[in-house]
Amino acid sequence: MQKYLSLFSITLQEIFTYRLNMLMWRVRQVFVFLIPFFIWKSVLGGGGDIYGYSFAAIMTYLFGTTVLRSLVMGSRTIDLGWMINTGALTVPLMRPINIFSFFFIRDLADKLFNLGFMFLELPLIYFIFHPPVFIQSNPIVLLYAVSSTLFAILIYFYINIIFGSFAFWTRDIWAPRFMLMVVMEFATGAMFPLDMLPVVWQKIMLALPFPYLLYVPLKIYLGTDPLWLNHLLIGLVWVIILWFIATKVWARGISSYESEGR
Amino acid sequence: MGKRYFFLRIGGPLGPERSRRKDDIMNIQNIKAYFRSLPALLRSYGRVWLKLTIQQFESQIANSRGAALLFMFGKLFRLATAFLMLYVIMGKAKLIVGYTLPQAILILALFNFVSTISQLFMRGIYMFRQKIVDGTFDFYLLNPLSELFYSLFSYTDPIDTLLVVPYLGLVVWAAANAGYPLTIPVAFILLLIMIIGFVMVLSWHILILSIGVKYLEVDNTIMLYRDLEKMAAMPIEIYGKVGAGIMTYVFPFALIATIPARYVFGLYNPLYLLGFAILAVIQIKLALYVWHRALMFYSSASS
Repeated sequence: MQKYLSLFSITLQEIFTYRLNMLMWRVRQVFVFLIPFFIWKSVLGGGGDIYGYSFAAIMTYLFGTTVLRSLVMGSRTIDLGWMINTGALTVPLMRPINIFSFFFIRDLADKLFNLGFMFLELPLIYFIFHPPVFIQSNPIVLLYAVSSTLFAILIYFYINIIFGSFAFWTRDIWAPRFMLMVVMEFATGAMFPLDMLPVVWQKIMLALPFPYLLYVPLKIYLGTDPLWLNHLLIGLVWVIILWFIATKVWARGISSYESEGR
Repeated sequence: MGKRYFFLRIGGPLGPERSRRKDDIMNIQNIKAYFRSLPALLRSYGRVWLKLTIQQFESQIANSRGAALLFMFGKLFRLATAFLMLYVIMGKAKLIVGYTLPQAILILALFNFVSTISQLFMRGIYMFRQKIVDGTFDFYLLNPLSELFYSLFSYTDPIDTLLVVPYLGLVVWAAANAGYPLTIPVAFILLLIMIIGFVMVLSWHILILSIGVKYLEVDNTIMLYRDLEKMAAMPIEIYGKVGAGIMTYVFPFALIATIPARYVFGLYNPLYLLGFAILAVIQIKLALYVWHRALMFYSSASS
């Protein structure tokens, strides 16, 4: 256990090494909220609703995606491709530690860092812009929302392992990652709630793992997902599928790893 | 021709050299000589830029054709989702701060086109931190052309270059779709706005490079700039008076899409561009001043 705590602490120290970099990252996270805030304010600020979303509902959704992004999509595993290409992966491989645990602990440190700053930034956003936000008080719904968030964290972790592992076979890891980022920006529901799309598109989207990162946990939290149990179970199924793919891809990749550059 | 002649003529050196240069500038012969040599100097930069760009194309074709396709598809997908978001919102709302859907589409198309052009040329900023950390920047300083030129313009993106033409086509279509077909005089004023905007964008990139020299940090600063720039994809009036003011007079974002679009709609007096031209000159001089200050902190630690 001690080695994991040390790894956790070292990762946090790494994050704080380049302080300006860290500060800019946090400022960026605030702007991620501000841009859609102004767009929706100009549309719904005067009252009324769109697709059943009032200004309060959409603000809660945006607030929620901002928090969930930090928690779910804060990750150090995105360095995996770079570590393989430069040979830096050799160092953790030689340590007496499970490699997936190594990356997951680093992810947890990143999430703690992001969440810690979120607690400072969110009140600031709240007091400046006064967005109307819905607070869920039903403990059962909260429990399901937390479960869905845990699934989201695992889904994102395994997606990163799979995409990072491409570096075992190609040096062009940035292109698939860019593609993933672009698709996730839309398909997670970060741009706008996916139930604003036509029903057919909603069904296609919900068959992919991406909505289970932000959209589904938030809808469960808001208590507005009539199929919440199905979606919770599908989230769990995606965790299992992606875990299976990640372990297979990793096993194939590591057997061809040559520690190039070391 | 001195190494930094081109850029220093705008920004100027510091310290004792500055006063010496001032005396030089007062000398009319020097000014004449400078302008006489300017075309040759620009040709030199043009030749080097072309060579570097061809190398980028060759490298892309030789090493990562598949990656190029993925990037291109990713960029087009991102653009498609931005349009989709506009359709989703405006399909119900009809108007956004007084703009109709076709007008908002033109603003988004203009943003996409102008932003791509600026990113296409100044791609080097994404590699700059590495150049500082591993000491490659030393070689930029030793080169006969400006180190700023190498830092910013040496990684022209082949994919963006290929996408510029369809993006321009999208602007022309969006303008016609909004009921304002582009004529030659309108296109000329749009080009003028783009040039002024480009100078302001360049100033901000130089400022970010300066931060990179001093604090070894560029990546998140340029990404923050890009995040802010994305605000220009929508009419800037949605950000309120203060927000729109900042985006007009501090950052060049209003010049990227909203102001050109307003001109196309006949809602903007082009005489105001004179004020922006002055602002652009002030910004570039300030940025170059900061750059030269930052260079004093460069310690060439890794080489």
